[in-house]
Amino acid sequence: MIKFHPKSSTLANFVEGTLPSVNSLIISAHCDMCPSCLDKIDELTQVAANGVFSNDIVESVTHRDYISMFECITREQSLVKTSIVETRNQFIEVDGRKFSLPKSLARLTGRIGEWSRLVGKLWLAPVDVGGPFLMQLLYMEKGGYVPEHTHKGNEISLVLSGQFDDGSYQYSSGDYIALNQIHTHTPVSISDGGCLVVVCLDKPLQFTKGWANLMNPLSQLYFKVNTH
Amino acid sequence: MLIGIPANQQRNETRQPKECAVEMSGYLDTIAKQRCKLSFSKIFSYFAPRLRSYALKQMGNEALAMELVQDTMSNVWQKAHLFNSEKGSPSTWIFTIARNIRFDMLRKLQNRKEDVCSDDLWPVLCEQTADPKVAPLDEQITLEQVGQYFNELPAKQQKVIEAIYIHGKSQQEVADELEIPLGTVKSRTRLALQRLKDMLKEYD
Repeated sequence: MIKFHPKSSTLANFVEGTLPSVNSLIISAHCDMCPSCLDKIDELTQVAANGVFSNDIVESVTHRDYISMFECITREQSLVKTSIVETRNQFIEVDGRKFSLPKSLARLTGRIGEWSRLVGKLWLAPVDVGGPFLMQLLYMEKGGYVPEHTHKGNEISLVLSGQFDDGSYQYSSGDYIALNQIHTHTPVSISDGGCLVVVCLDKPLQFTKGWANLMNPLSQLYFKVNTH
Repeated sequence: MLIGIPANQQRNETRQPKECAVEMSGYLDTIAKQRCKLSFSKIFSYFAPRLRSYALKQMGNEALAMELVQDTMSNVWQKAHLFNSEKGSPSTWIFTIARNIRFDMLRKLQNRKEDVCSDDLWPVLCEQTADPKVAPLDEQITLEQVGQYFNELPAKQQKVIEAIYIHGKSQQEVADELEIPLGTVKSRTRLALQRLKDMLKEYD
């Protein structure tokens, strides 16, 4: 059961296309897994469409710009063949386990880099989406954890499989989590099959406790930016 | 004399999108089936000026706004067959087309480096394909659930499912590759999907 969802205002921005594209990708993947948010998206899209087209003060289309536009469009007689999207499932493999990806992320499978195993039974693979954002797949083996940390920027995550506990809440498959500077947490995987999360960051993590502090200079390990 | 847009269309149209949804759906249908310019002129008269005012707010520039209107209306003309009145109203569909075009235009203009385009986020104008024989089951099983249970399938079934669903091979290709009869591939696929379905039921 999915318990954590994006805020309605975030969904509305998604519908209007005003969220950063990488955030939108995570929202889109959440909606692949969450029928209730998918319904909300449909409603919000209708609301947005009504907002755009309910305008009473409308000019007529007699202007020559409209006439020539109409002519130009209708000169093309045939229907255009559209691109066909593969809707087959995509799987990824880590630590000998296979996971399927929601269809919004399945299109990214070609952009997933090598998995590397870090301390704390933790695996990371970069997802090359370009731009200022960093997207990563994070896999925690059972009992695996990310040392206590806070965020210098925004962190948006979606649990793709399994469960983790971050000291405040337990998150399961499909849960959407948006955190920022005010949140400090220590995510620990609590499911037998481990836990796979897609994480999107705009700034590196800041480790806050004990020996993990030592990792701050290395925190780009958790924020590997692809330069190519 | 204005060519293409009949004179009686040239007056202002003040109805709300909801009030003319059924009528507009009908026009989209005749555009798709008969390439009917008259139907398109009705859609055009209603939506083009409204799109322009949306586009002006979004793009802040007359030339770009008109480009957005033209691209949107052109998609409506050429891809009317993709409109499905069961999924939503004409205004919602046209809005999503305009929203996608706006998203890609701004991405290009701002020279954003993110490698995500509107089709990745909102595949409005893409035709979805799936093997009709397995599609209904696909819909019942969510992707994440499949992943969880995949490992529990017998190795032979995993191999077939992987080849078909991950590598996108046809059942015949899988049969050739594994040197087993096509019937065996079919029955393994069916058994594997059935087994996944059963495991899902147990889980629920």
